[in-house]
Amino acid sequence: MRRIMKKAALLLAVVMVLMALAGCGDKKNTETLNLFTWDGMFPQEVLSGFEKEYGIQINYSNFDYDEDMLAKLETAKGGDYDLVIADDYIIEIAIEEGLVQKLDKSKLTNLANVDPVFQGHFYDKTDAYTVPYGAGIPLIVYDPAAVDIEITGYEDLWNPALKDNVALIGNYRVIDGIVLKMMGKSFNENDTAVIEEAGKKLLELAPNVRLISDNNTQDYLISGEAAVGFLYTSQVTMALAAKSDLKVVYPKEGLGFGIMAGFIPSQAPNGDAAHKFLDYILRPEIAAQCFEHIGYVCTNQAAVPYLSEEAKQSLSLPEEAQSGEFIMDISAEANETHERIWTEFKAALN
Amino acid sequence: MRRSNRRGIPHGFLMSLPMYLFTLFFVLAPLCYMVILSFLTRAEVWGVVHEVTLDNYRNILTPVYLKTFYESLKLAVICVVLIILTGYPFGYFMAKLSSTWKRRVSMLLMIPFWTSALIRMYGWIIIFRSNGILDKLLMGLHITKEPLKLLYTYPAVVVGMVYALVPFMIFAVYSSAEKMDWSLVEAARDLGASPAKAFFTVTLRLTMPGLLSGVVLTFIPSMGLFFIADILGGNKVVLVGSLIQEQLMKARNWPFAAALSVVLMILTSLIIWLYRRVTKVRDLEGFY
Repeated sequence: MRRIMKKAALLLAVVMVLMALAGCGDKKNTETLNLFTWDGMFPQEVLSGFEKEYGIQINYSNFDYDEDMLAKLETAKGGDYDLVIADDYIIEIAIEEGLVQKLDKSKLTNLANVDPVFQGHFYDKTDAYTVPYGAGIPLIVYDPAAVDIEITGYEDLWNPALKDNVALIGNYRVIDGIVLKMMGKSFNENDTAVIEEAGKKLLELAPNVRLISDNNTQDYLISGEAAVGFLYTSQVTMALAAKSDLKVVYPKEGLGFGIMAGFIPSQAPNGDAAHKFLDYILRPEIAAQCFEHIGYVCTNQAAVPYLSEEAKQSLSLPEEAQSGEFIMDISAEANETHERIWTEFKAALN
Repeated sequence: MRRSNRRGIPHGFLMSLPMYLFTLFFVLAPLCYMVILSFLTRAEVWGVVHEVTLDNYRNILTPVYLKTFYESLKLAVICVVLIILTGYPFGYFMAKLSSTWKRRVSMLLMIPFWTSALIRMYGWIIIFRSNGILDKLLMGLHITKEPLKLLYTYPAVVVGMVYALVPFMIFAVYSSAEKMDWSLVEAARDLGASPAKAFFTVTLRLTMPGLLSGVVLTFIPSMGLFFIADILGGNKVVLVGSLIQEQLMKARNWPFAAALSVVLMILTSLIIWLYRRVTKVRDLEGFY
């Protein structure tokens, strides 16, 4: 009996030593990259490919709203995360708040693959802080079989023929903005009187709205719950993939435009890994995989030949979209007016 | 005599110290933070400026925001009334079942809670959507001729809310009715009360604490469960909850969101206080 006990004790001791050693090994070898972005921004094979090639573990955390991201980044004082991918306007604020570090371009050998059309914009004029990762234009998509009229612009959404048949995304700057566009104004109008006027016009859209949703808005179009949708680019791509006879409209009044980009927070624990990852996703064939997955406009010119034929069409930026207007941050007062007319609009839907 | 330790601190206090600390850190501190925040000013771009103002509260008086409170209240009242009408009889009859069946029924009531509330709401979408289960059933029975647009309507939201909250009422009423002394009802009947009279003078009175805690347990969440209005109502019913979320996450107006939350809390407390005064019930079943 005693012998057995002794053996057991020895075995236990050996196991413990081995575990301790394994623990040491873990600490030394496993580098991590803390990636912070929306859910589902990368295909799994791209993430695993990076982990395998560089031996860096990816710790993917996600947020729903840009504002949520910035609040967390601010609490962490620019630390905790190594790489963030978010929308242009919030990046502008993050840079102003000093939460972003300059990129070390010597580590980004594939930077030249970026299509210059998507560089040098308002949020990072000198391209010192960001690398674009996809662009988007909210567009109208409709099912010609279920709609009697031909839709060419935002104005047609107001047509009484579309009663209770329009699905909208829930971004008030975009939805209020299309009314401003119809009035010949800018998405970024700061004059509250003009915004108020847009609010009145927006109220008239209420009878036509079937629902407002920010998530998977394309599903309602695919299932036939609504005949017309005003959707984000990725949703447009998904809608077309599921139902190819849908028609896409580039509204004649003018387009809204936005770029998503990656940046490295000022106190990133592992900025080196972030550079490696940025460079990795800039590789043409990897980028092509990414863009086919997210369905946003491809910002990597070298990746285009690697895209499938359908993707080449749906993920490229059409001529007319180049004049699209960025949706930028506006004054607090104008923002409050937007928020109020939006709430009034939603209350009128019921 | 109370037992004390050498320094004279009662044992009871030490035992409940963790509870006090918990309340202090996780309830009182965030609450204070929220109240303070509600008096500050939003920064032009991001965050708040430490300028004390009443503007956030003044802003709530704008008709559109006042209407949001009214809408939330209306929806909550409609839901609670429907929950009472369905949940009270359920709990009452459940208490009359044999003990085996009591266990089986409460098990059945618990099972849906094993999945997330969000997923259960998506289940309702499948039932309600055009050409969905309900539409097919109605058309199959020749009650309707073409698909109804049931989803993204007010009734769809009400159904979702009642469905999500009715178990809380059932359990509260059940625990009250189960403890009731049924011989009192028999006595009332023996003394000549009609079944209805016996129910209203004896049973209802005795189960009132359960009913009231059921109301509290369902009324408070129904003021705040905005995700049901988003999913089943297609964002068309604007509730205070969704307004707060939008102010916080999209409009970046934290002080206004805080002010809305403070008013919502005061309003909810006020209604519950009023309700307790009217029904004259002191102790809530299941709360102690």
